[in-house]
Amino acid sequence: MADDKDVLRDVWFGRIPTCFALYQDEVTEKEAEPFYLLLPRVSYLTLVTDKVKKHFLKAVKPEDVEEIWFEYEGTPLKWHYPIGVLFDLHASNTVLPWSITVHFKNFPERDLLHCLSNSVIEAHFMSCIKEADALKHKSQVINDMQKKDHKQLWMDKFDQFWAMNRKLMEYPTEEGGFRYIPFRIYQTMSDRPFIQKLFRPVSPEGHTHTLGGLLKEMYPAAITHDAGPKQGSVCYFPPASSLACMPGPRLCAAGRAVLRCQ
Amino acid sequence: MENWRCHVRAELIRRDGSQKDPYAGVFRSLFQLQDQCEIRQHIWEDVQSQSLEQDGITFVDLHRWLRESEHLSKKLSQTVSDLTCVLYFKEAEIQYWQSQVCRYRQEALSLARGSNTMRATLNQLEFTVERQAKELAALQKEHTRLREGMVEAWKEKGELLQR
Repeated sequence: MADDKDVLRDVWFGRIPTCFALYQDEVTEKEAEPFYLLLPRVSYLTLVTDKVKKHFLKAVKPEDVEEIWFEYEGTPLKWHYPIGVLFDLHASNTVLPWSITVHFKNFPERDLLHCLSNSVIEAHFMSCIKEADALKHKSQVINDMQKKDHKQLWMDKFDQFWAMNRKLMEYPTEEGGFRYIPFRIYQTMSDRPFIQKLFRPVSPEGHTHTLGGLLKEMYPAAITHDAGPKQGSVCYFPPASSLACMPGPRLCAAGRAVLRCQ
Repeated sequence: MENWRCHVRAELIRRDGSQKDPYAGVFRSLFQLQDQCEIRQHIWEDVQSQSLEQDGITFVDLHRWLRESEHLSKKLSQTVSDLTCVLYFKEAEIQYWQSQVCRYRQEALSLARGSNTMRATLNQLEFTVERQAKELAALQKEHTRLREGMVEAWKEKGELLQR
């Protein structure tokens, strides 16, 4: 587990340099300068953009201010996807810094959920954690935790998060792994926003599954076509149970599918 | 560390090298400049027309130093609080690892105890085998002697019948 902590720490401290600009048609008071921010990959847009909101509110008439939302090249950005997932899904080939457009009007009701306070994001995050634990331990670990432990998972300090997350990643040695691996494969080129199925960490013959095995079964195109490991190259796939130790967004080799382990 | 961990970490480091690292320094400087700019703007708004000069130090300078010191002290106290928090969790982590060491020590002790018991059983079984081998040899000897006796008795019987 100590080694997993090192991997998770690297995931945790991933950042994306971003440039926020107010949508041209919404500028009414005075020209707004763009706002630059290093966004943490394992957070949510609406959680880390208070300063952005404050900055652009100066340039908008108070009566024009509705709920803030973000867009990248015409695509509204879903606040309930982690920032890293959004970037890898929509903008991984873009030139940095990532240019995001800020809106205060015309909220796209069909594409986005409303997020009126940070407690909504926290509730969404906790529901993801609970869903993952239901798959891993039949919810035994999360149900044994107290309210303050849940709060600790939500805090933005890595060591505090890790102290609690470690409990969610343990399993009895005799069981050999989790019941199922909680994962999602996000896709942009499909009607389904993501693929999510039951997947055991060990095959019926007793072999440990790897990320490669998971992708082969759930998203074969990721392995066989454009993104298959080139001949002569070496490609390591972590065992699937270790994969579940990484809660952050993971970009799989396919380029268009983003694998996120809950 | 297993190969996949090395690979994942190397990829993450490569990703940060191309995405985060080239911008981190510039962004940090930008935030500092924005903070300073904001403070100065506040001061400017506060004392637009009332600048008094004493010993070459203007009121504006004093005000700016004060605000900057306040800002720095706020940041320092936040850092101290963060570090205290980290220390607390490190201590909790040490306790966790100590409990793990204790658990594995107990397991090692019980395994050693089991191994000793098995060794004693093995010794006992070896002793039994040795004893039974000796008994078998004695029985085989006795068996040979009895067979010879029987042959002798048959011989005597034959002679008696002839007579």
